[in-house]
Amino acid sequence: MSAEPHILVIDDELQIQRAIRTILTEKGFRVTTASSGEEGLALAAANEPDIIILDLGLPDMDGVEVCSRLREWTQTPIIILSVRDSERDKVGALDKGADDYLTKPFGIEELLARVRVALRHSAQKQGMQSKVVKAGDLTIDLVWHIVKRGEEEVKLTGTEYKLLAYLAANHGRVLTHQSILTHVWDPADADHTEYLRVYIRQLRKKLEADPERPQYILTEPGIGYRFIADE
Amino acid sequence: MKPLAYLSTVWHYLFSALLIALTTLFFFALRDFLDTTLVALLYLIPIGVITTTSGFTPGIISAVFSFFAFNYFFIKPYYTLAVHRPLDLVILTIFLVVSVVLSRLVGRAQAGLAAANAREREATQLYELSAALAGLHDEYTVAQILGRQVAALSQGEYLEVNITGSQPVHFSQPQGALPSRPPELTVPIQAARSTLGEILVWRSKPPISTGETRLIQTFASQAALALERARLAQAESRAKVLEESDRLKSAILSSVSHELRTPLSTIKAAASSLRGNEVGWDSPARVELIAAIDDESDHLNMLVGNLLDMSRIESGALKPKREWNILSEIVGSVTARMKYSAEEHKIEVDIPENLPFVPVDYVQMEQVFTNLISNSVKYAPADSLIRIRAGVEGECVRVQVSNQGPQIPPEHLERIFDKFYRINEVDRVTGTGLGLSICKGIIEAHGGKIWAENLRDGLAFNFTLPLTWEGSPPPQLPMDTEVE
Repeated sequence: MSAEPHILVIDDELQIQRAIRTILTEKGFRVTTASSGEEGLALAAANEPDIIILDLGLPDMDGVEVCSRLREWTQTPIIILSVRDSERDKVGALDKGADDYLTKPFGIEELLARVRVALRHSAQKQGMQSKVVKAGDLTIDLVWHIVKRGEEEVKLTGTEYKLLAYLAANHGRVLTHQSILTHVWDPADADHTEYLRVYIRQLRKKLEADPERPQYILTEPGIGYRFIADE
Repeated sequence: MKPLAYLSTVWHYLFSALLIALTTLFFFALRDFLDTTLVALLYLIPIGVITTTSGFTPGIISAVFSFFAFNYFFIKPYYTLAVHRPLDLVILTIFLVVSVVLSRLVGRAQAGLAAANAREREATQLYELSAALAGLHDEYTVAQILGRQVAALSQGEYLEVNITGSQPVHFSQPQGALPSRPPELTVPIQAARSTLGEILVWRSKPPISTGETRLIQTFASQAALALERARLAQAESRAKVLEESDRLKSAILSSVSHELRTPLSTIKAAASSLRGNEVGWDSPARVELIAAIDDESDHLNMLVGNLLDMSRIESGALKPKREWNILSEIVGSVTARMKYSAEEHKIEVDIPENLPFVPVDYVQMEQVFTNLISNSVKYAPADSLIRIRAGVEGECVRVQVSNQGPQIPPEHLERIFDKFYRINEVDRVTGTGLGLSICKGIIEAHGGKIWAENLRDGLAFNFTLPLTWEGSPPPQLPMDTEVE
């Protein structure tokens, strides 16, 4: 593996390929492109990239299927590209193992932020789990189960802490309703988004400066939630 | 007469035999007091009765039997069929001739009456059918009415009406399994140019008569007329819908090409001047141009999104993906996202903490709030207040988004939710003219209502959302209170 991170872009639109390649190359990444699902799968197997950027609307096969076929053998982070209004596809791909998504059209800062988060998480999978997550004036100690706002400890119920810990451990990444519900509650509760809505509201009240305009726990409409921590 | 007519043949013959036997018994008891000629005359009464009630054949047979009974019991020598007196022979002959003639005459009159009745019944049924079919524009109802009428007429075991076409219609009576044998009668529903369907009747006993077949065929041709009429009416209303959608499409095209070109021109101008190195690297104009490209592409994206939403609403493809949501969370994320576009206005949110969950599609409701707020931002003066309030009202949640913008003439209050509706032509505010009609489409897809209302100092958009979802009320959650 060469020094600069390698990114595989699977997208059939040449203009998007060109734009992403230009920008990411400029930012010091090595970029390979594929125009179809089959080609993408072959290149992923041959090159073992560090990150895969995958468009859901491919000509030859369903993006969600590409996602699950990749997940059969690799844990390489996958970032989904998709248009607005296809929340169902996005959630499908995320629940099939994709790590994050971007809605087209997207700004380049968003793309770079997703890439950074994905790289960090693939590093964490190799054992560098962060133990303390900092976000603004919040400190979340995942080892000692202590949450502080400034110097003051915040009292959380068991479920609130479990939820916050799951979000914070995956900070920067989108977590679908289903994955949160099965992880924090129980697989049997995967449909009860109302639990999640209530606990998120409680957490925001305890942690956010303005709970109506949250800075840390962000809603991803129709998809799930994302915890924003300091880089 | 009617109930007797429906008695089965066997009963008619039994009845005739019984009547003749009883008459014979009665006369036999009085034999010594009655004159032979009188007996012969009196025998004509039961024969007349039998012919009237049971028809011609039982009448003739009773006449013949009476003849033998009369001979056997009442003409000397008794208990033989021999006749000694020539006078008795004359009486017997006359009796036979009179009774047969009587039977025939009465029988014919009966048959004539029955035929007239049957014709009247047919005419009535036909009249009822054509009256019922008149003015129908729906093929299933035609099939249903036809099926019921044929069923009432044929009284068969099973009946089917099949109508072919782009949307085949099937009617059967009674509901249940189709008999395994082929139908006894198949009548095509034949229109001038094509066969529109068929009527199938299963009735093994009694076999279907020619008269019934003829009547069912007449029914079929009536139904064919009704079906053709229905199809013509459908074709006409389709043509109207097409015309309307054509009109809409040209309205969309003219609005869209204008609206899409405006941001595109900005982007093109900015990008080409940046590319052509006409703007210096450090010039502040460069930053401006780049910001313009960024903003205008967002605007373009929003326009395309609106168009997509509208076409989805129009085609009925907008299906809310409901979940129990907290309204203030939705409003919160919208106001947070609109922080910049609404920075010249003050947004005040007043949603009670204990408002129940609402069963809505999160993304679509965000769209509703975004459109209502951006509409308020467009028309209300800078620094004015935009208020968002919500509360429970009966079985619904009522939400109000109000602004301090100009009022709307009362006659326009409803029409502002129409597509491409502008209060006046000189209204130069940009947008696709779709925002409010998208709100209406989304709210109605959720089973709610939306309307606008003039306030003392501005304008308010109100909408309601049902609190129940498939009949269930909002969930109450058990809260855990233990602190770690």
